[in-house]
Amino acid sequence: MSVTGLRAMLGIQWRTHRRGTLIWMLALIAMLVGTAGSIAGLFPTPDKIHSYAQAATAGDALVVINGRVEGIDSLGGIIADEFGFLAAFLLPLLGISLVTLVTRSEEEAGRLEALLAGRVARHVPVLAGIVLASSAIFLTAIAFALGLIAVGVPATRSVLYAASLGTLAFVFAGLATLLAQVTLHSRGVYTWGLLILGVAYVLRGVGDVTKTWVTWLSPLGWAEKAAAFGDMRWWTLLIPLAVGGLLAALAVLVAGRRDLGSALVGGGASSPRATPWLRSPLGLATAIHRPAILAWLAGAVILAGTMGSLAQQFINAVLGNAAMAETFGLLGAQPVDGMVALTQLYIAIIATGYAVQAIGSLRGEETAGRLEMRLSGSLSRVRLLAAHGLVIAIGLVVIVVVASIVLAAGMAWSLGTAVDLGRILSAGAAYLPAELLVAGLALALFGLWPRAFPAIWAGLAGVTFIAFLGPGLKLPTWVLDLAPTTHVGNPPLGAVEGLPLVVLGAIAAVLGGAAAIGFRRRGLPQN
Amino acid sequence: MHASQSVIRAERLTKTFGKVRALDGLDLDVAPGEVHGFLGPNGAGKTTTIRIVLGLMRASGGHVELFGGDPWRQAAMLHERLAYVAGDVALWPGLTGGQCLDVLGATHGGLDEARRATLIKRFDLDPSKRIRDYSKGNRQKVALIAALATDADLLVLDEPTSGLDPLMEQAFQEVVRERREEGCTVLLSSHILGEVEALADRVTIIRRGRTVTTGTLAELRRHTRTHVHAVTVDAPAGLADAPGVADYVSGRLDGHVDSRFTIDAEHLDDVVGMLHTARIHTLTVTPPSLDALFLRSYDGDIGPLDAAELGDPVDAHR
Repeated sequence: MSVTGLRAMLGIQWRTHRRGTLIWMLALIAMLVGTAGSIAGLFPTPDKIHSYAQAATAGDALVVINGRVEGIDSLGGIIADEFGFLAAFLLPLLGISLVTLVTRSEEEAGRLEALLAGRVARHVPVLAGIVLASSAIFLTAIAFALGLIAVGVPATRSVLYAASLGTLAFVFAGLATLLAQVTLHSRGVYTWGLLILGVAYVLRGVGDVTKTWVTWLSPLGWAEKAAAFGDMRWWTLLIPLAVGGLLAALAVLVAGRRDLGSALVGGGASSPRATPWLRSPLGLATAIHRPAILAWLAGAVILAGTMGSLAQQFINAVLGNAAMAETFGLLGAQPVDGMVALTQLYIAIIATGYAVQAIGSLRGEETAGRLEMRLSGSLSRVRLLAAHGLVIAIGLVVIVVVASIVLAAGMAWSLGTAVDLGRILSAGAAYLPAELLVAGLALALFGLWPRAFPAIWAGLAGVTFIAFLGPGLKLPTWVLDLAPTTHVGNPPLGAVEGLPLVVLGAIAAVLGGAAAIGFRRRGLPQN
Repeated sequence: MHASQSVIRAERLTKTFGKVRALDGLDLDVAPGEVHGFLGPNGAGKTTTIRIVLGLMRASGGHVELFGGDPWRQAAMLHERLAYVAGDVALWPGLTGGQCLDVLGATHGGLDEARRATLIKRFDLDPSKRIRDYSKGNRQKVALIAALATDADLLVLDEPTSGLDPLMEQAFQEVVRERREEGCTVLLSSHILGEVEALADRVTIIRRGRTVTTGTLAELRRHTRTHVHAVTVDAPAGLADAPGVADYVSGRLDGHVDSRFTIDAEHLDDVVGMLHTARIHTLTVTPPSLDALFLRSYDGDIGPLDAAELGDPVDAHR
C-alpha cells in the first residue's frame, strides 16, 4: 500500500493540532508525576506503605474503582492504585480524542476533501492520525517512566507501568481510528468509544472482584495484568499492541476503500415537523442539552449503582480493618456514612463536569453561528440565557437526585436493610451550591469573555484533582480551599454548615447575574 | 409609522474590532417595499453592517435605525417584523430540516403553513433528513425557506444563494419578487452582480467599510457609458468631436476604419446616425452593466465615485 503524502499529512496534522496535543500530554504527565511525588512524600517508610496496602485491598469497593493492583505493597503499587481511576478514563480518552480530532472531525468539517484532492492517498490521513497519536502516547509514556524513576520507583518497574498505560491509550487510539471510519460524525466516535470504555471498566471491575478470567476481556485488565509492581508480565503488553494495531490496520483498509464523507452507519429519516415544545425557547434548549444530560446521568448512575451494591463489602472491610478506617477518616464514624460521603463526592464532580459541558454547548451554539440565527428573532438575549440556564440547572438536579436514589437503592439491596434516603439525598443536595458556583463561573466566562471559555476546563480539572486526591495527598489547606467542594463539609460523614453553602450559592448567583449583564451588552457572535 | 420612513437607516456608521476598522462611515438607506441590493467584495463590511442593523453588535459610532427604532436597545421587539438568513447558515445538526424550519419560524413569530408547504416543494427539499446529513446547498435552502415563509415586513438576506444551483437560484428570485409584490422590503447582500441586477430596485455599493455609491439601477446606469465598437467603410466624419463622445480611438484595419469610443445614453442616436453615413460593416454596442459599475468601484484607491469616473471605460484599465 502506498504512503503518498504521509509526510505532508503528518506535518499538517501536527501543525493544526499540536497545541491541543501538547496540552493533553502535559496535563497527563503533570497529574501522574504530581500524584507520584506526593505519594512518595506521604509514604516514606515500608511500614506506612504496608498499612496503606492493607487498607486498599481490604474491601471490594476500592478494587472496583481503582483495580486490583498486584504488588500494592510498594511505592509504585500505591501510585498505581491512587492513579488507577483517573488513568482508566484519561488514557483511553487521550487515544480516542487524538485520533478523532485529526480524522473524522476533519472529514466532517470538509477540510479533508481539500487535502485528498492533493497528492495524498485516501488512506493516508488515517495512517498519519494513528502515527501521530502513537507518537504522542509514546512520548507521554516515556515522561511517565522518567517521572516515576525520579520519585524512587525501580527503573524496570517504572518502564513497565508506563508501557502498560501507553499501550492502554494505544488500544483505544486504534479503536477510534476504526470507529472514525464506520460512524459518520465525530460525536459517534466519542459515543461508541466511551461506551466501549464503560464496558471495559465494568468487565475489569467484575473480573477483579470475582478474581476470574473476566478481567482479561478488558483492555483495562490487560494493563493491570502487566503487574508492573508484582510479577512483571512483559508479554501482556503484546495484547494491546496487537489489538490496537489490528484495529488501526483495519481502519486504514476501510479508509482506502470507502467514499469520502461516507460511513457504514448512516443517518435515517425522522420527523419533518417540530412539536410546539421544540419550537419554544425551553424546548429547544432541552433538545440541545439532552445528550449531555443523559450521558452524564448514565455515568453517575453506573457509579452510584456500583458503589451502592458493594456497600456490604465496604462496611465489612472498614469494620475489620482499623488502618482502612483511618485512611478514609472513618475511625469511630458510621461506615455507611463514609461510603455515602465518598460516593456523593464522585457524583458531585460528575454533576459539575456535566454543567461545564452544557454551558460549553451554549458557547458552541455561538461559535457555530446558531445563536446569531436564534437571536435575530423576537427572543431576547436574557430570555434565551434564562431558558438555557434553567434547563442546565434542572439537568444538574436530575443527575444528583437520580444518582442519590440509585445509590440508596443499591445500598438497601446490598445491606438488606432500609437506608435513610433523606440523608443520602440531602448529602447530594448539599453539593448543589458548589456545583452551581463552577457553573456560574463558566456562565460568567460565556457572558463576559467568551473567547476565554476553554479556561473553565482547566478549572474543572483542578477542582477534580483537589477533590479526589487532595485530602489523600495531604495538600496544604489553602490549596484544598480552592475547590468549592471542600467547603461543603463532606456530608453526611462531616457536619454541613449552612453559612458556607449560602456563601457558595450567593457567589453562584452573582456570577449568573454578571453573565446575564455581560451577555446583554456584548457583540454577537464572538468567534 | 409614516409611509415614507426608511425601514433601515444607517448614517456614518463606524465599527472597530481592536485595531481593525471594519466600518468607516457607512451610509445605508432602505425604503419600504424595495429590494435593496447591498454590494461589496468579501470583507467590505456587509455582514458587520447587517449585524449592527439587527442589534447583534453595537456600532462604535454613527447612527442606526431599524423601523425607526434603536436595534441595540429594542432588538427583540423590532425583530418581530423581520426574518434573517445569515451568510454562514448554521443549523442544529441533530434536527431534521423540517424541524429546523419550524424552530427558525417560531423565532420569527411563526410560519405561514401554506407558504411553507409550497416553498418546500418549489425548492425541492426533503424535510425529513437530519441537518448533519444535508449538503451545503440544502442547508441554505432550509434557512431561505424559513425566512421566506414568514410574514415578515423585512427580509434581511446575507449572501443567500451561495451554494444554490442555478435552478434553485431561479426559484429564489421568483419568490423574492412575489414577496416584494406583497409589500415586503428586502435587504439583499451579495457579491453576485447578476442576482442583484435581476432583483434590486436600488443598490448600495460599499468598499472597505464605506459607501461608494447608492441609487436606483437606472440612476447608476445613467452615469455609466455605453461602449461602441464600430468598423465602417469610410472614416466617420466629425465623430471624435461629436457631443457625448469620449475615449475615441480610431485606426485602419484591413481597409476598414475601426473606431472605439464611449457615449452617454442621450447622444447614442446621433452617433449611430454618423456611423451609418460612414457605412457600417460591423457594430457592437455594449450597454452599461452593473459589472462595469462594480468593477470600477473597486478599481484602485479611488474615493467616492462621481459621474465622470463612472464614465471611464472599463477596458481602458484592464
